[in-house]
Amino acid sequence: MIVVEQVTKYFGRFQALKDISFEISRGEIVGFLGQNGAGKTTIMRILTSYLPATSGKVIVAGQEVSKNSLAIRKKIGYLPETPPLYSNMAVRDYLTFAAQLKDVPIRQQRVQVDKVLEECSIESVQYKTIGTLSKGYKQRVGIAQAIVNDPEVLILDEPTIGLDPVQIIQVRNLIKSLEHKRTVILSTHILSEIQQIAQRVLIIKSGEIIVDETLESLLREHESNLEDIFLELHSAKEKQ
Amino acid sequence: MNKILAIAQKELKVYFKSPIAYIVLISTISVFNIFFFLIIDGNREASLRDVFKIMEFLFIFIVPILTMKIFAEEKFSGTMEFLMTTPTTNTAIVLGKYLGSLIFFTLIIAITSSYYFIIEFFSQPERLATLTGYVGIWLEGALFIAIGMLTSSWTKNQIIAAISSYVILFLLYFSISFIKYFSGSLETLVRYIGTWSHVENFTVGLISMADLVYYVSGILICILFTRLSIENRLWH
Repeated sequence: MIVVEQVTKYFGRFQALKDISFEISRGEIVGFLGQNGAGKTTIMRILTSYLPATSGKVIVAGQEVSKNSLAIRKKIGYLPETPPLYSNMAVRDYLTFAAQLKDVPIRQQRVQVDKVLEECSIESVQYKTIGTLSKGYKQRVGIAQAIVNDPEVLILDEPTIGLDPVQIIQVRNLIKSLEHKRTVILSTHILSEIQQIAQRVLIIKSGEIIVDETLESLLREHESNLEDIFLELHSAKEKQ
Repeated sequence: MNKILAIAQKELKVYFKSPIAYIVLISTISVFNIFFFLIIDGNREASLRDVFKIMEFLFIFIVPILTMKIFAEEKFSGTMEFLMTTPTTNTAIVLGKYLGSLIFFTLIIAITSSYYFIIEFFSQPERLATLTGYVGIWLEGALFIAIGMLTSSWTKNQIIAAISSYVILFLLYFSISFIKYFSGSLETLVRYIGTWSHVENFTVGLISMADLVYYVSGILICILFTRLSIENRLWH
């Protein structure tokens, strides 16, 4: 479903991604782990064609991102790190706008918006102005926007940040419910979250992938929990 | 095309949900009304020619306030990332946003059309000159909006966007004052680039090809540059 081949990215002289390669097959839920500034957001931005890669190839659903970005964008739902919301628009208006831009046929727009309002449990605030909502609601409106066109690939940059424990569980369940139907990539700092949702982990450090394994085998290999593995990997690299 | 309309509609919705739209609308119309009264009262002449000139001058101050947020705000709040990762072409984004501002501006102009009916009630104004005058200032505003949109696409700071467009608009408007320092073909060029002579023709009932080309090409160039500017991700 997603193939990334030897991708590098420079911002000026700074090398944000160093020769990254990985593959993700349909229906997988993959977690990106890494410290702040490791390059998680940069990879996501390249996958969504928001940023061009300096070199390398990115293929999503059989098409190369740099050549067919419009066709690929139709298949991707993306929640950036800060939910991209218009603070003085009503929730429903905003989601309808998102549906219009994402090529949801006019007749289905209403149905789709109703559906995502329900899935993200934000029906009660659908006529409220986004700026007046709490962070948790805003985050869920952001997720609703990402899934409004039933994308095949869902890319979520820290989807549970700023949510309370109940909402975190709701969002996790929402993501879990998408399993098998969609390919999901999410990044997070919360290690336990990856353990609960993802099947596979990519640990990124200073623009390189240092671990690419299924969660199961990773945990078995190290015989400890993900948090210890994460800390161990980071301190080991620093010592070198 | 649907997406252009969707974006324009969203722009207008966002405008009217914020106080800026009403403040701009009410203050602009109020200031126009005052000048309309002063000019008609002073000139004692059934013509909107001088009113158009004042309107043109005031647009320099009003338009940047209207346009500064077009892209700067989207960049600042992160919604630009949303727009650009939806399957929408950059051209549609730029045209949609331009159309939204243009509709708002047209609304202001439409309200001032009452001036014509007022003077017509008392006297016989020149219909044609008034009509072409409206076409002229509408085109002028359309050009100013395109310039404001372009400067807004350069930055995520609305103040910088507004000041940049003030600088460009002032240069265009006052270039005629510096005409004596130029000679030959340079003089012709400065005269052509400045907005002064172009509106002047429209207000006296003249629509010339040169003036139309000036406005239309100016607008198209700004739209094209805006599109290039949002495409260049290094500016983010």
